Amino acid sequence: MTSSAVGAATPRLRGALSYDERAALLFVAPLAAVLLAVAVFPILYSFYISLFSLKLTRPGRMPFVGLDNYVAVLSDPHFWLAVERTAYFSVLSVAAIAVLALLVALLLNEEFPGRRALGAILLVPWAIPYVANALMWKWIYDSNYGALNGLLYQLDFINSYMVWLGDADKTLPLIANAFVWKEVPLAAILLLVGLKTIPPDLHAAAKVDGANALRRFFHITLPQLTSAFSLVVVYETMMAIRHFDLFFILTEGGPGDASHVVAWRIYVETFRSLSFGTGAAMAYVLALATLALAYAIIRMLARRI
Amino acid sequence: MTAMPTTPPPAIRHYRAHSPLRRVGRGVALAVASVLFVGYVLAPIAWLVSSSFQNEREIISKPPHWIPDVPTLANFSAIFAAKDKAVTYETRKSADPASGGFIPSTATNLLPAMLNSFVVACAVVVLNLLVGVPAAYAMAKIHFRGRQASIYVILATRVIPDIALVVPFFLFIRNLGLLDSLWSLIITYLAVTVPFSVFVLVSYFESLPDELDKAARVDGCSRLQTLLRVYLPLARPSLVAVILFAFLASWNEFLLALMFTQTPASQTLPIIVASFTSDFTISFSFINAAGVLAIIPPVLLALVFERYIVSGLTAGAVKG
Repeated sequence: MTSSAVGAATPRLRGALSYDERAALLFVAPLAAVLLAVAVFPILYSFYISLFSLKLTRPGRMPFVGLDNYVAVLSDPHFWLAVERTAYFSVLSVAAIAVLALLVALLLNEEFPGRRALGAILLVPWAIPYVANALMWKWIYDSNYGALNGLLYQLDFINSYMVWLGDADKTLPLIANAFVWKEVPLAAILLLVGLKTIPPDLHAAAKVDGANALRRFFHITLPQLTSAFSLVVVYETMMAIRHFDLFFILTEGGPGDASHVVAWRIYVETFRSLSFGTGAAMAYVLALATLALAYAIIRMLARRI
Repeated sequence: MTAMPTTPPPAIRHYRAHSPLRRVGRGVALAVASVLFVGYVLAPIAWLVSSSFQNEREIISKPPHWIPDVPTLANFSAIFAAKDKAVTYETRKSADPASGGFIPSTATNLLPAMLNSFVVACAVVVLNLLVGVPAAYAMAKIHFRGRQASIYVILATRVIPDIALVVPFFLFIRNLGLLDSLWSLIITYLAVTVPFSVFVLVSYFESLPDELDKAARVDGCSRLQTLLRVYLPLARPSLVAVILFAFLASWNEFLLALMFTQTPASQTLPIIVASFTSDFTISFSFINAAGVLAIIPPVLLALVFERYIVSGLTAGAVKG
């Protein structure tokens, strides 16, 4: 990208690194070592494992099975059901995040007393652990004493307490709600940055031309937000696809298998069935799917470096 | 491009409503939106906190008491005094006979788990700085061969889902004999957090003028001296951001801890708290108190360091 990096690649003898290059090598070496050992190697190792039938219930034997694990995973209808649930959860979550984050960003883009306090409050959901978020919503959704029942009952929306997470039709939307609550802040911050980069002259000019607020929003604000929006959508989709914590604490894949998403399936396959080969294969499929998505985000980010 | 956008652009005045009626309308709209916003964000947390101060009798009232009639510290004292009052099968229900909900014997593990979380988070922070700062400086200021490639590698490692790494991580840690040790967490959290740290730091270093670099080099500083004496003091905001991100990510992490830790020797706070939620006999108010303890440190950090976090997030994600 930078011209000097290209210039540095002129033919040179091995071992005759410049001072700068030796310094750079030394500075980058610890990071490279960490990433090679704990990121690159595991990724490759994961693929290697996925070619074997490795079950911890049968230690000592690890026959090579080639791509059989992948065939097994991809031909299993339960896997595709899990994919469907992951897709449903992700689409629901990302749509809600995008809308709510946009509203929050528009609010925080205004100047008014108390704006800074709201900006600080916004960070609270972002900062707390997912486990705390999960137990909070589990308690809110509780079918006997939860706040959701209590609130709806007091407001006369329901006549008697309802079962929430235990209802197969409601469980994924409710988990998505907990996910959205925690993810909106980051998305809103990213959109807010996008809003700040819109030249105010555009709005001023449109106003002079007689465009009302609504028209300005649809013809100036939204089009100018495109790149911030795609960043948010891609990032949050990646987060939703891989999400695990809420499923673990809120439902453990239940009721029945209503919230049995891909991430949960990988965990169960690996650590409950102790079938590491198929678990790794499934994980690899998920990683490749995520990488395909991430390709977009990398392109977007790399353009800015 | 500054990485610390703190002053809002004044240009917003351009399209502000001018007539008094419209100004009132705008004020009302903003007030309503602000109330909705605060309610959405804080109501769930308020309910969590309120529940943690309720006793057993109160927490099972229908409809719920939004504000406790008889606030009690019993749930918190159960956690902090757990060491003195050993909870046994015989005594556990004595905490409250009304509901049968009890204080679990694992309550004793909560404070040590908090300490574990803290130790791991601090170690990860230190390692992040040691590994991340020199690398970020080199990538931002030294034009070496492979610079672009290393940025791509870092971006790529950032997007691999952690759930996809559970199998190799587990075997890797097991083969090193590090299962159930804090090291297993420190090593893997470092790998998970350092790409983002480097990203934030690179974008900040790049925003600092190259001339400083040249001037220091002309004055005879080595690369290391240039980094330590010239850039590091200037990069303080991004260092704060990196420290916060690494700390919070480690404090909050759940999946890897779930795999690697087995005993209280290495279990972190999220693991202990999660273990409470799966036990139906444990008092809700006690679980909520544990939840409150888990969120206090991150919430405080977020409120105190809001500026640094926001600028770091924007630098790391969209690079200002």
